[in-house]
Amino acid sequence: MDQKKIFVCDDDSGIADMLEMVFEILDSETVTETNSIHAYEKILHLKPDVVIVDLWMPVVTGDQLIRKIRKNEDMKETFILCISASRDGKDIALEAGANTFLPKPFDLDEILAIVEKAL
Amino acid sequence: MAINEQENHNRGGNHEVTPLIYAALDASSSGIIITDNRLPDNPIIYSNKAFEKITGYEANEIIGHNCRFLQADERRQEAREIIREAVDKGMHVTVEIRNYRKNGDLFWNELSISPLRNEKGEVTHFIGVQNDITARKNAEEKLSFERQRMEKVILERTENLRNNEEYLNSIIQTIRESLVVLDPNLNVLTVNQSFLRTFKVTKSDTIGKLLFDLGNRQWDIEGLRTMLETVLPTSNPVLDFEVEHDFPYIGKKNMLLNAHRVELEGDYKDRILLAIEDITERRAIEKRKDDFLSIASHELKTPLTAVKGYIQLIKRFVPKDNSRLIDVVQKSDTQIERLNKLIVELLDVSKIQSGKLDIHRGEFDFDKMVKDTIEHIQFSNDECNIVLEGTTGVMYEGDESHLSQVVGNLISNAIKYSPGNNQINVYLSSLMNRIKFSVRDYGFGISIEDQKKVFDRFYRVGEIREKIAGMGIGLYICEQIIKQHDGNLWVDSELGKGSIFSFTLPLK
Repeated sequence: MDQKKIFVCDDDSGIADMLEMVFEILDSETVTETNSIHAYEKILHLKPDVVIVDLWMPVVTGDQLIRKIRKNEDMKETFILCISASRDGKDIALEAGANTFLPKPFDLDEILAIVEKAL
Repeated sequence: MAINEQENHNRGGNHEVTPLIYAALDASSSGIIITDNRLPDNPIIYSNKAFEKITGYEANEIIGHNCRFLQADERRQEAREIIREAVDKGMHVTVEIRNYRKNGDLFWNELSISPLRNEKGEVTHFIGVQNDITARKNAEEKLSFERQRMEKVILERTENLRNNEEYLNSIIQTIRESLVVLDPNLNVLTVNQSFLRTFKVTKSDTIGKLLFDLGNRQWDIEGLRTMLETVLPTSNPVLDFEVEHDFPYIGKKNMLLNAHRVELEGDYKDRILLAIEDITERRAIEKRKDDFLSIASHELKTPLTAVKGYIQLIKRFVPKDNSRLIDVVQKSDTQIERLNKLIVELLDVSKIQSGKLDIHRGEFDFDKMVKDTIEHIQFSNDECNIVLEGTTGVMYEGDESHLSQVVGNLISNAIKYSPGNNQINVYLSSLMNRIKFSVRDYGFGISIEDQKKVFDRFYRVGEIREKIAGMGIGLYICEQIIKQHDGNLWVDSELGKGSIFSFTLPLK
C-alpha cells in the first residue's frame, strides 16, 4: 500500500514545522507550505489524502483555498481539516467546505485522532 | 312741639337728662369737643374726658382755645386745608391728621367734624370727634414699609433669576452634547449651539419642525419613534439609543440618544429633553482596540499552539519510568493551557465591554456538551473526581462554545477553590421550561458579602487571592455569557463549607 500523504498549509512556520514533526508519528508523508499562493499548485501535484489549512493567511486566505480545492472534481472528497486561532473560524471553515475545524491551540491527541481517522 | 314734650315727659324732663348726656359723653372712648363758631377764632367750649386722655391736656388748657394747638409746630398738613375748607363751607368732613400730645408725642388722629346749624341755617357750632389711630397707622406704615422691602427683594430676586438663567443658558450653549427640547407632538421647540454645530444646520432648519422631518429623516426610526411617543404617557426615558446614519452635511456618524420627560408643571409641562451625543470617534477607537486585541490574541496563540504541540510530543517520547520528567511535562502543559485561557478571556472581556460578545446560536445536545467539557477537565485533573448526576435531555439553542466555556470555568473554579478535596458534583436538571446546571464543591466557600462581588470584573476574594492565582474575570465573563442567553447565574455558599454555582437557561 502506498504511503499516505498529508499536506499542511500554515503561514506560520512554527506551526508547520511542529505539525511536520508530529505527523512523523504516523506512517505517512508530510508536505508543508507557508506561502498560501503556492499551496494549490502543490496540492494538485501531491494529491494528498488529508489537507490541513490555516484560516488567517495573507493574500490567499484559508477559506479561499478550501473553496478552490473543492471546485476541483478530483478533490471533492479530499479530507480537509481547518485550524485557526480565531474561535469564530468554525462557521467560515465549514461553510467553505472543510470537513472539520479545530481551534488553536489544539491537543496533540485530538489532531492525531482526526488525521489518523481520515487517512 | 308735642313730640318733644312727650319725650321730655318720658325721660323725666331736661334737667334730669343733661347730666346723663354729659356722663355718656365722658364714657365715650372717642375724644369729643364742641366749638362755637359764632365766637371769634371758633374756640372750644366743651371737651370730654377721652379728649383729655388722648391729648394729655386738661380741660382748663383746652376750653377757649382754637383746635390748632393740637398741631404744635406742624402747620403744613394737607389735612388742615381740607378742614379749613369744610369749616368755611360748613360741611361735614373726616380726615386723618398728625397731632401732638401735650408732652410733644405724635399721634394720628382720625378727626370728624360736623357742623350744627340754627333755624336760619347758620353754622353755630362744630362737633369734633377724635379717634387715636396711631396703632393702626403704625401697622399700616409697617405694612407699607414691608411691601416696599418685598418689592426690593423681588426686584433683586428677579435680577438673580435673570442672571442664573443667563448663566445656565451659557452652560447649555457651551456643552458639547447636542440638546433638543420637544413639545408633546415631538416638534422642536429649542436647540442649543452644539446641535447646530454638530449637524451643521441653522435654527430655521430646525425649530418648529417635527423631529422626524429633520435632515434626511435620520431620526425617523420605528424603534425611536415608539420610544419617544411613550416618554410622556409613561415617563419612561429613552436610554442610550444608538443611531448609525449617513447624515446630510456631516456624513456617516454614530449618535447616542437619551430622552427624558421634563419634570415641571406650568409653562414647561409635557416637554421632552433629547440629548444627542456624537460617539463616532468612541466607536472607532473601540473598533481599533477590538481589532488590535483580536490580532494580538491570534498572534499570541500561534506560537502557543506550536509550544503546546512540542510539549505534548515530548510527553509521548518520555520514557514511562521517568516520573519526574513526566511530571515536568504535565505541568508545562497545564501552564500553557492557563496562558491560552488568559488570552481568550482578555479578548472576551474586551468584547463584552464594547457590547460585542459574538453569540453564535445553534442547536446542540446540552448534556453531551457538559459531559465532553467534564471529560476534558477530568483529563488534566485526575486527583479530583467530577461526579455528574441528572440530565436535561434537551437540544438547546445557543452558543455551544461559549456555554462550554461557562461550564468549564465553573467546574475548574470548583476544583481550584477546593484544594485537598477529591470530589465535586455536577447536577443537571430540567424544570419549568428551563434547564439548570449546578456545580458543588466542598472547598473554601464564599462569605455573604463576597458573594455579591464575585461576578464583578477583576474582583477576587481577599484571603484566596494570596493562595490561588487568577485575574478575576472568569465569573464576570460567565455571567455575561449567561445573560446573553437570557439566563441567570448565581451562587449559594457558606464560608468553610463549599459553594454551589448554578445557572438556568430558558428554553425558547
